[in-house]
Amino acid sequence: MNPPDATKTTSARPRPTGVIESFAYDNRIVRAFAIATVIWAIVGMSAGLLAAIQLFFPEANLNLQFVTFGRLRPLHTNAVIFAFIGNGMFMGVYYSLQRLCKARMFSDALSWINFWGWNAIIVAAAITLPLGITTSKEYAELEWPIDIAIALIWVAFTINLLGTIVKRREKHIYVAIWFYIATALTVAVLHIVNSLEVPATMWKSYSIYAGVQDALVQWWYGHNAVAFFLTTPFLGLMYYFLPKAADRPVFSYRLSIIHFWALIFVYIWAGPHHLLFTALPDWAQSLGMVFSLMLIAPSWGGMLNGLLTLRGAWDKVRQDPMLKFMVVAVTAYGMATLEGPMLAIKSVNSLSHYTDWTIAHVHTGALGWNGFITFSMLYYLIPRLYQTKLWSVKLANYHFWIALLGMMFYVVPMYASGITQGLMWKQFTADGFLQYPNFLETVLQIVPMHRLRAVGGSLYIFGTLLMAFNLWKTAGIGVFLPDQAAQAASWRTQQEHHEDKGPWGHRALEGKPMLLAVLALVAVLIGGIIEIVPMFLIKENVPTIASVKPYTALEVLGRDIYIREGCLGCHSQMVRPFRSETERYGEYSKAGEFVYDHPFLWGSKRTGPDLHRVGGKYPDAWHYNHMDDPRSVSPGSIMPRYPWLLTQTLETNSLPARIGALRKVGVPYPAGYENTALAELQTQAAKVVTNLKVGSVTTTPDKDIVALIAYLQRLGIDIKANPAATPATPTKTAQAGGQPIATN
Amino acid sequence: MNDPKDPLLLDHEADGIRELDNNLPTWWVWLFYMTIIFAGIYLGYYHVLKAGDLQDAAFQKEWQVGEALKSAALQKFEGQLGSLAPSQDKAVLAQGQKTFTTLCSPCHRADGGGLVGPNLCDDYWIHGSNYADNVKTILNGVPEKGMITWKSILKPNEIQAVASYIYTLRGTHPVNPKPPENQVQPTKPSIFE
Repeated sequence: MNPPDATKTTSARPRPTGVIESFAYDNRIVRAFAIATVIWAIVGMSAGLLAAIQLFFPEANLNLQFVTFGRLRPLHTNAVIFAFIGNGMFMGVYYSLQRLCKARMFSDALSWINFWGWNAIIVAAAITLPLGITTSKEYAELEWPIDIAIALIWVAFTINLLGTIVKRREKHIYVAIWFYIATALTVAVLHIVNSLEVPATMWKSYSIYAGVQDALVQWWYGHNAVAFFLTTPFLGLMYYFLPKAADRPVFSYRLSIIHFWALIFVYIWAGPHHLLFTALPDWAQSLGMVFSLMLIAPSWGGMLNGLLTLRGAWDKVRQDPMLKFMVVAVTAYGMATLEGPMLAIKSVNSLSHYTDWTIAHVHTGALGWNGFITFSMLYYLIPRLYQTKLWSVKLANYHFWIALLGMMFYVVPMYASGITQGLMWKQFTADGFLQYPNFLETVLQIVPMHRLRAVGGSLYIFGTLLMAFNLWKTAGIGVFLPDQAAQAASWRTQQEHHEDKGPWGHRALEGKPMLLAVLALVAVLIGGIIEIVPMFLIKENVPTIASVKPYTALEVLGRDIYIREGCLGCHSQMVRPFRSETERYGEYSKAGEFVYDHPFLWGSKRTGPDLHRVGGKYPDAWHYNHMDDPRSVSPGSIMPRYPWLLTQTLETNSLPARIGALRKVGVPYPAGYENTALAELQTQAAKVVTNLKVGSVTTTPDKDIVALIAYLQRLGIDIKANPAATPATPTKTAQAGGQPIATN
Repeated sequence: MNDPKDPLLLDHEADGIRELDNNLPTWWVWLFYMTIIFAGIYLGYYHVLKAGDLQDAAFQKEWQVGEALKSAALQKFEGQLGSLAPSQDKAVLAQGQKTFTTLCSPCHRADGGGLVGPNLCDDYWIHGSNYADNVKTILNGVPEKGMITWKSILKPNEIQAVASYIYTLRGTHPVNPKPPENQVQPTKPSIFE
């Protein structure tokens, strides 16, 4: 790269000559987001703790379906990501953007629509998710009416952001704002594309994508929600709050430029690393892997610029808890962004995927990076908004150490747990048998680690409570400043003074934010288009299997119950092509088997075993007894009881609407199937009831459990009826044997 | 703290934040280059030259190696079936009981009295009453009736252990057992009885 220009001028810029305008920064909106941040932090983390406790003490669901793990987990992830971290992001953006643009927000009305709209969405999530209203797509679980609301509120935020930039009094936009712009535009694209769904009822919709395509779109979204909701806005916030608090210049302007563009361009491509060794075509998996590795340097660019900015200011880090939190946040970011690419290496992923290793990884990011940087901002902002000093620096230091300890107690046991279980799943004896064929055995091994994790989570929450108390006291001793007066001249009235175009002409681009926004949008669209479009257009990416048929009416409702109860939070439906999996579960999963799966249900975690080949593996009565009380048939199991499935009546009124919606998204149900579906459903339900009677179970055909059993028994069996795909050995042994099919 | 004399300090500022004109760290630049070069090599090797095994091919190889080991072990075990006798060893029986409780009891009940699967305590045997018949049934399963093919899950010594344990259940009288299925006559006692 070019050596630094020795002739660079160091003189201060000429004083503005335009008309000085007076205005005020809006602190009320910042305070509102700050309060919401703290409240949702406690709610979201507590939901996480309750979920964590259920993983060693299933009875902690109090036998309530609303807070059972499958429904609680999305509540936890949504509350932490979108409520706690989301409000924290808005808090920081609304504070810094105004000051960096030397302008009040574009529209106070939009600011408050953003605040109340966003928090109303979160309340809606907190109501619908426990009720089992979910699309099942991770971090996009909210149903279609809420999806529309999210899109509208996000547009309000984007208009407010861009509007403020347009009426700025500072010609060049600072690096923080580049990141805000990339965030606003990309999240809009991700959310809208991934949420395309056809409503069946007011609270039920089906993704327009199926199987492999749905998986690719979902993880393009899921991965980049991490990138553009949890990473880019917070890098922008780091670029504002860290140099402000340390009172040091940013280490390298050139590094900012390079790592910004590299990061947003490369990030988008990495989504398929969530789908390694699945039925996703190899080429897409390889792109996901190599782009993940290429992400290391751009990510570390942010960490370096943060940490090296602190050169000469480390004495301040010792004194200021706000900076302590910031340093750990940036360090955790560096660790997580090295670990992520490592986990995206195929061979590492074959061990780590589906285990607690992933949980450890994401919590390094969530607790360390997002949590600590948000705490840091809160400690910075509240005293300034209330024109006072922090009530207790000592208490903030306690918070720091307790949170750090909590994070360690969370992350370290999860690493131990993930690696232990991953190795146990893969262990063969010298004779070629699975060493631990019983899945439960590998679960029992890691239960102590789950207990330790809950201790870590409790510590972290305790620290957050200390912070809430400290901030409350700080507000009590100060006086809130709702409108902070400021003065500046519009850059348009300022005299043009000579300035160089900066490295690579970038300085000039910073004076044209709308051009920068368009270029950023182009940069993020490229990767997505190149990966997603061929998946829809090129047929050989999803080879069809003739024997794979759409689900019956009863199975559709059973599948919807599977989605409602959040079964995929713990059970994958994707047997990977390893002998350790084909021996345990059966034939590995093929892309063509999922063509009628709207949405796909591959899952991302195996707290319980994979279910893709569970069809026909156990008698119907086994499933009945198992759902009633898993421990009655699998002693030591940590699966929750589902007694309500045995008593609740199956809702069939919406069946025609569901069939119709599924046909709209492409499932080839014959015309008029809506009219015969109910009769067919009753016939199949009666068969299940007969099967149950054989196993000494008496029930009526109108129960939820009947539909769920029908669905489970259908899983993964269609391929066995396919002559081309049937192994040479008799089908009887193929059932659990899992011989590979002859590849054609 | 912003040292105005720092030669690297750029002349622009944003809300008081200044920036330095430090060059990109060399090692960082090389790190970036290396990952890009690796990406090119990896994609070229696997997807342009198609020189490496992708996941299906890699699986076929792994499967053949493992399956050869396993079928050799199974063949050896099946060859000995005729001469196999139920074990009396307490440790083996304890291991068999453990396996029975976790894997068999869901269908056959913990006391062997039968639930979905048949009663294992009476003299009405559907698939042969010999000890060797029992072992064969466990090995190969009866998939059309829901009995799992255990040879893909349990190792030969585990099958031997659980079959030995089941053998000890014969003649016990659990409460409320499952009645015989489609069998009027009790099967003859096995050669071991």
